[in-house]
Amino acid sequence: MIELFDVRKVFNTGKPSEYSALNGISLNISSNKVTVLTGPSGSGKTTLLSIIGCMSRPTAGRVKLSGREITSLPERFLTDIRRKTFGFIFQQHNLIKGITALENVMLPAYPLGERHGPLKERAMHLLDRLDLSRKAHSRIEWLSGGEAQRVGIVRALINDPSVIIADEPTSNLDTKLSYRFLEIVETFKKDGKTVLITSHDPLVYQASVVDEVVRLRDGRLEGEAP
Amino acid sequence: MKSWIEKQKYIIDFTLSSLLRRKVKNIGLLILYALIVFILASVMFFTHAIKKEASLVLRESPEMIVQKVVAGRHDLMPLRYRDEILKIRGVQAVEGRLWGYYFDPVFGANYTLLVPPATTATEQAETEPMRTVVTENEHRHGPEEQAMPLVGAETIGAGNIVIGNGIARVRNAGKGEFILFRTHAGEGMPLRIKDTLSSASELVSSDLILMTEPDFRRFFGIPENYVTDLAVSVRNPEELSTIAAKITRLFPDSRPIIRDEILRTYDSIFNWRGGMMIVILSAAVLAFVIFAWDKASGLSAGERREIGILKAIGWETSDIIRMKFWEGAVISLTAFLAGVILAYIHVFFTHSLVFEPALKGWSTLYPQFKLMPFVSAEQLTTLFFLTVVPYTVSTIVPAWRAATIDPDAAMRHTGE
Amino acid sequence: MTRKSSVFLSAIAAQSAILGLLLLHAAISTRTHPPELTEKRALVKALHLTDLCLFTEARYTRHLSQADLSTPFQDHPISLEHFPSGSFLGAPENIRKINEELD
Repeated sequence: MIELFDVRKVFNTGKPSEYSALNGISLNISSNKVTVLTGPSGSGKTTLLSIIGCMSRPTAGRVKLSGREITSLPERFLTDIRRKTFGFIFQQHNLIKGITALENVMLPAYPLGERHGPLKERAMHLLDRLDLSRKAHSRIEWLSGGEAQRVGIVRALINDPSVIIADEPTSNLDTKLSYRFLEIVETFKKDGKTVLITSHDPLVYQASVVDEVVRLRDGRLEGEAP
Repeated sequence: MKSWIEKQKYIIDFTLSSLLRRKVKNIGLLILYALIVFILASVMFFTHAIKKEASLVLRESPEMIVQKVVAGRHDLMPLRYRDEILKIRGVQAVEGRLWGYYFDPVFGANYTLLVPPATTATEQAETEPMRTVVTENEHRHGPEEQAMPLVGAETIGAGNIVIGNGIARVRNAGKGEFILFRTHAGEGMPLRIKDTLSSASELVSSDLILMTEPDFRRFFGIPENYVTDLAVSVRNPEELSTIAAKITRLFPDSRPIIRDEILRTYDSIFNWRGGMMIVILSAAVLAFVIFAWDKASGLSAGERREIGILKAIGWETSDIIRMKFWEGAVISLTAFLAGVILAYIHVFFTHSLVFEPALKGWSTLYPQFKLMPFVSAEQLTTLFFLTVVPYTVSTIVPAWRAATIDPDAAMRHTGE
Repeated sequence: MTRKSSVFLSAIAAQSAILGLLLLHAAISTRTHPPELTEKRALVKALHLTDLCLFTEARYTRHLSQADLSTPFQDHPISLEHFPSGSFLGAPENIRKINEELD
């Protein structure tokens, strides 16, 4: 359960380029559901996602994760919560070039210092689940777009997070691969994970797997008075 | 603790993968780096070992040498100086030394001609048993032959010489052969090689030719009442400088050189201020500046992006810095160890092969000596801090700012 | 597949071990004065030698400590000299004293 109270975010405070990305958002995201944030470009979807995922702090307002206030925690704790609770799937995949798919998948677990054997086994197992075991030792730049995205998904799962966050996951995929992605989301839900997706792709927010759609416009929830 | 080690290993894993992406560049860097350490360490090992050896060997030098100086040059020393100096209180003995240089036009080499002090052989016999120093051409006797150093004038005999191993090598000459010299008057003077000095002693004896006093005087035309300089020994070593002062007062044209000065001279040879040393050092410093420049000129956009990704997937600022630390340490530590190991082998097992052309200079006769491996831990530590630390630091510092970027940067620069 | 970090750490360990062995070699071979050193000392003592035979190309490099005051050492200590070897050597103690003001 993630709760947001009147969350605001201002960029470049005090400078001529100052602008307000989020203008007071209050929202509850329920556990074990698939929630989609949608809205036009510049509506604040990604900013909101990064605040929920403990990647950045709101300028004002509070965020509670399972009842625990997280906005005021120092960076160390925030990082700790982030890597144990959230798995991120990025729009541009954000994979590290020049190293293998397997290494990319294992990267989020490196700072935790668990034993190498079990970690590698888990990574291989997850790669296998998404039909990537043959590509485990291939370098990232040798993979197709769909394969690269699935590597990104496996990486998001490596620390067994309870919340999966995906930013515009289908923007670089064709229809077939987008459906494949939704199938994967389906399995997340089955595993009891909370899924949070930003997307302005109707294919995503109209999908049957989605439980709730939140519409954003100009940094506000759609329908709320400015 | 176990997980800490595992964590470091993971970070090293990633660092190595990431270094291997630019294989040619990084391996090139490693080789260049090791080469710099190799040269610096070789210079260090060589100079330290030779200084140490000089201090041990030259401790046996005469306590004081007195030269006569005429018009700014050494001049022959009249024997009456010896008699006068002997009268100074505290002086134990004064011996005339006869030595000089001979240029061999055939081989283009300079030799040092020397008359062994007459007393030596007997004096030595009473003090300590010495192993043989005189050997057959290049081959030393076995350790069982504990013979006297046969270098006393009386053992050489008129018409004979004992030559240093370097001369034997240059001329390819051995026992029993004759060398034809040209005297000061231009006459030919054939001298028979009675023996050669051992190769083990080349550091002090490579270019020596030992001969009898009459032969020497005839060779150079030095009158009976002159010697090259005087070796003075005193009763109490603490009085050396007082006695030196007395000698200069007595003979203002004389110049005493105390053994301590000799030792200090060799303690400061090859110092960093010497011409060639400055060249070597500045080349090394410049190379380091190039490294540091390359590193400190900042991170590429690609590296910045990678740091952003790592932050986004849950790496802390400290993890990023740790990774950068290892990136510097992997290269510099490997290069340092490789460079030092190669330098040790170079200096103490291959007789400083790389330096040989520079050390030889223009001399035809170059001693082949094996240095004793005196190593100074202090110097090694200094070298470590001069090479590994700056490089590692210059790898970390530019990453510092990039490491503190917000983790959502990786999301934002692509997103809305 | 062996982990890269294991390869690296073993390489560092191996290098350190080699260096350790070399330093051990240094310690052992200089702990007692070997016969070669004794031999050189004996020769220096017997022949009243004053210098190491490092460079034979010039008078003042062959017998460095006996060099007179008018040798090329009169130049500034960091000057490159006519004879290459001269540029390696620091000036003898007694000559340096005279030239101290130059530095």
